[in-house]
Amino acid sequence: MDERLLEILEDIQPEVDFETCTTLIDDHYLDSLSIISLVAELEEEFDITIPTVEIIPDNFNSAEKMWEMITRLSEED
Amino acid sequence: MFSIVTYFSVEALLLLLVTALLYACLPQKLRRWVLLLASYIFFYSISGKLLAYLLFSTLSVHHIGLWLADVQNECAAQTKGLARDERKALNAVYQKKQRKIMGFACFIHIGLLVLLKYTPFFSENINTLLKLAGSSFKLQIPKYLIPIGISFYTLQAVAYLFDVYRKKIPADRNLMRLALFMSFFPQLMEGPICRYSDTAVALYDAPKMRYDNFVLGSQRILFGLMKKLVIADRLNLLIQNVYAEPNKYDGFIIALSAVGYTFQLYADFSGTMDLVIGAAQMFGITLPENFKRPFFSATISEFWKRWHITLGTWFKDYIFFPVSMSKPMKKLTTQARKKLGNHYGPLIAGAVSLFCVWICNGLWHGAGWNYIFFGMYHFALILGGNIAEPVVIKITQKLHINRASFPYRCIQIARTFILVCFGELFFRAEGLKSGIKMFCKIFTDFTFASLKSGSLFKCGMDRQDYIIIIVSAILLFVIGILQEKGIQIRNSIAKKNIAVQFAVYYALILFIIIFGAYGAGYVPLDPIYAGF
Repeated sequence: MDERLLEILEDIQPEVDFETCTTLIDDHYLDSLSIISLVAELEEEFDITIPTVEIIPDNFNSAEKMWEMITRLSEED
Repeated sequence: MFSIVTYFSVEALLLLLVTALLYACLPQKLRRWVLLLASYIFFYSISGKLLAYLLFSTLSVHHIGLWLADVQNECAAQTKGLARDERKALNAVYQKKQRKIMGFACFIHIGLLVLLKYTPFFSENINTLLKLAGSSFKLQIPKYLIPIGISFYTLQAVAYLFDVYRKKIPADRNLMRLALFMSFFPQLMEGPICRYSDTAVALYDAPKMRYDNFVLGSQRILFGLMKKLVIADRLNLLIQNVYAEPNKYDGFIIALSAVGYTFQLYADFSGTMDLVIGAAQMFGITLPENFKRPFFSATISEFWKRWHITLGTWFKDYIFFPVSMSKPMKKLTTQARKKLGNHYGPLIAGAVSLFCVWICNGLWHGAGWNYIFFGMYHFALILGGNIAEPVVIKITQKLHINRASFPYRCIQIARTFILVCFGELFFRAEGLKSGIKMFCKIFTDFTFASLKSGSLFKCGMDRQDYIIIIVSAILLFVIGILQEKGIQIRNSIAKKNIAVQFAVYYALILFIIIFGAYGAGYVPLDPIYAGF
């Protein structure tokens, strides 16, 4: 897992254990507002564009899933 | 040629039965044509020659989808094998091209909707402004005939094109499949607003009719008929009187009719959805749910995740996220978060996006100031809820109140229900002025005198009517609780032996026949959402 991603996540929502949680969206740990912040931070940090079509629960339910999305988008860009 | 006014007319049910019969008898290749033909007959029987609008939209969506696909394919071919920077630059060029196509598509489809539905409203308001400015110039107020379901199928069309643009789905070359997706008759008049990925393939596949689907679909249609005929049409006796002449009634009756209208709207719209989803299920087509027991919502945000769900998700996917994720908004969020923190930082971009969603939501429901007010009312409640959330959390923590406890949730549910009823009062009122007057009267003229004197039972509904409504409400409440607990009532009934199954069906049919508000002395409620 990328340290930068974990840092961003902990900065946005400090009370959640992002290394183990796999239901970030389903259990409402991340709401629409957190997602708005998160997308802005991820795009800046990883120099990617996260299109709206990628904003689905499956891509944001765990840090691992987010990392998979980031890696995929970096390659596609 | 027969004409259809509502889904709950004999003609509509006849069309459904004939279509189902043909569908059951014919081979797969012809079944899809039966559905398309039935859809166009349905449309023509309501809107006549305005069918041309639907045909135009279908052809346009088909063509623009293929146009986008051509640009995307060209882009893929040109960027193949290029270095990342070159690929990025060329992608940006093609992205710009696609944006122009989408702009053109929105101009055509949203433009047509705006022209037909909103031009009279905008013209009237411009004339008022001109008059206030002292000008004698007056715009002519045009009157257009509006094709049935245009607000619904336009959103489906735009969603399809955006999904192709975002490469979520491939453009469909098959015109017939797209035509069926745009026009499937059960959902044409009042939704649910479907996505191409939800229904298009299943509709085109036209699966074989199955006994279990037919039974489950029929059950659901019966339940919808109960909601519509027993509850919505009966409540109409009170609602139409009070909202037509609110000055004649005291605050108590107005409050009662505001609650009554909320319940009527729910019974009418969710009852229609039961009929629509049940009818589609008979053909083996699964349509998305539009209601999920909205009166169990703890907050207004939750309410809108449970009420008219497909409209809410449409606004979320095609307005909320695109606006909040636009470049300027992302920049604003990053800067604001540094200064205002994790909650209030992104709330600014969220508020701008929410405003866009709710102004569109209000206007989508109708061209009138009361609808705009309705949208702004819910915008203010949701934004207010978000602003107050950290404070509420702090207060409840200090007071040692468990926010997850049952009593706290009950209070939240009651509060949300009251707020929703106030919103619906403005929604139903004959104009914004009337809505404000009615709202004020609830607080300035509230008395139980009409209950004590019995005049409450002379406002359209008598004691028996109230008893029927209360019993039906209790029935829906119990069913709602069971569904909240995850119990699938229809499946449970379908698994019982045939004697029990038919006892339940007969009981429901008798309940509708005996307690339904139809025949002499009753004015059936016009399909409320079909008007939007």
